Amino acid sequence: MSFIIEIENLKKSFGKKTILHEVSLNISPGESYVIIGGSGTGKSVLIKCILRLLDIDSGIVKINGKNVNDLPQSEMLKTLLRCGVLYQGGALFDSLNVIDNVSFGLVYGYRKSTKEAYKIAIDKLEAVDLDEKIAFSFPSELSGGMKKRVALARAIATDPDIIFFDEPTTGLDPITSGTINELIVKCTKEMGISALSITHDINSLKFISDRVGLLHGGRIIWEGSKGDLMTTDDPYVQQFITGSPIGPFTGKND
Amino acid sequence: MFVVRFLEKIGQVFISFLMAIGEITVFSYRSLSAGIRPPYYWKQIAQQSLQIGYFSLPVVGMTALFVGVAMALQCYLGFSEFTAETAIPSVVMIAMTRELGPVLTALMVAGRLGASMTAEIGTMMVTEQIDALTTLSVNSHKYLVFPRLLTGSLLLPFLVFVDDIIGILGGYLTGVYYLGFNSSNYIHNTFSSMSSQDVISGLIKGVVFGFTICLMGCYHGYSSQGGAEGVGRATTNSVVASSIMILLLDCILTFVLF
Repeated sequence: MSFIIEIENLKKSFGKKTILHEVSLNISPGESYVIIGGSGTGKSVLIKCILRLLDIDSGIVKINGKNVNDLPQSEMLKTLLRCGVLYQGGALFDSLNVIDNVSFGLVYGYRKSTKEAYKIAIDKLEAVDLDEKIAFSFPSELSGGMKKRVALARAIATDPDIIFFDEPTTGLDPITSGTINELIVKCTKEMGISALSITHDINSLKFISDRVGLLHGGRIIWEGSKGDLMTTDDPYVQQFITGSPIGPFTGKND
Repeated sequence: MFVVRFLEKIGQVFISFLMAIGEITVFSYRSLSAGIRPPYYWKQIAQQSLQIGYFSLPVVGMTALFVGVAMALQCYLGFSEFTAETAIPSVVMIAMTRELGPVLTALMVAGRLGASMTAEIGTMMVTEQIDALTTLSVNSHKYLVFPRLLTGSLLLPFLVFVDDIIGILGGYLTGVYYLGFNSSNYIHNTFSSMSSQDVISGLIKGVVFGFTICLMGCYHGYSSQGGAEGVGRATTNSVVASSIMILLLDCILTFVLF
């Protein structure tokens, strides 16, 4: 079976501190995989290692069957065009307006004309329930929820094969979080895009995941379906779901 | 023990210095090698040209005018003791074209643009906008750094040239309207002693200083870590490093072009 993401024994350290110890996971086409885990366990680092934004110490990372660490930079940039990323803070370009942000990958990555890229960008803004009236607003003029939607529109603008969601609902109120979750499901399921998400938000986890992995101590210590998550007696998962201060998570290095 | 610790400290500083030189060399190689290959980001180059070449003109012009005026007055104080006032136009001209023009322009641009480059790129770094550029299939060195290096290297000599003209004009206005020089004599004395080497050496300095300011601005922006405080620290380091590099390179280039 071919996987869209294949990770084998990925190891990443910063100085003497090892953040990821031999992490392995696979994501199938169309699947939504969610990684949960305490703060500082290396969830964001894992995404950055997959996208080669950080160099890994050892292991294999493949996107669409290509080992990203063997690719020359030009090939890597082409591979990244097939990936969308929704960053935790949105990471919208402050100096560009909404439509230029959304069409950025189309203009600079796919070398489409501005007119054609704008047309696609307007469609994507509509797909995330944003009015085209905001197309010429700047990110500083938008609310947190709107920024996330624009960032989601930018992530799906190039019709990627996989989208990475880095804590998509962090800092949003429950209603806006619910809306973002619905949009994530709409964009991934309707368009058949795979997703790798990291989140602390249990509601988001229940809503967007097909499969879940718990990252702790630099390893995926539990993996299962959304259904398994609610029935497992694994103490780490139980504590994470219930949010209890008593349990195997000490909070010191989680 | 104290001596060992002292030597260790010196060793650490020396190693850090060598590492920084290595990092800056790799950084500039990455940016130049990415930038010379197509596609070219003309819009970025045009925007940076405006920022560096056009919007720096007022501050550069004012600095040159004030320095030219002050130069002529100070020279008059010294030269009048030896009845050598006729040397004032050529001294002002040589000082402006060879030394003050390039150095003052570079220091003003380092303060104005080097700082803003570091702050802008640093903010992009800590808010993951540079990661976003990469994941949108754009080489950030090519998009952010190369246009700045190119326009800095090409347009700082232009600013130096403008600075030379305005500085010499400042000296002329002081000489003629305050010190009572004859206008045509002042102009004749200025240009009779001028050689193309004077202007060209200043312009060569401009190219080197322009590249250095933009390289320091971008490198420190990319080195920003840890939020607003980190960006602030990087901005300070950028301006300090640029200023020291400008004065050091000026010294070296003056020896080379002497």
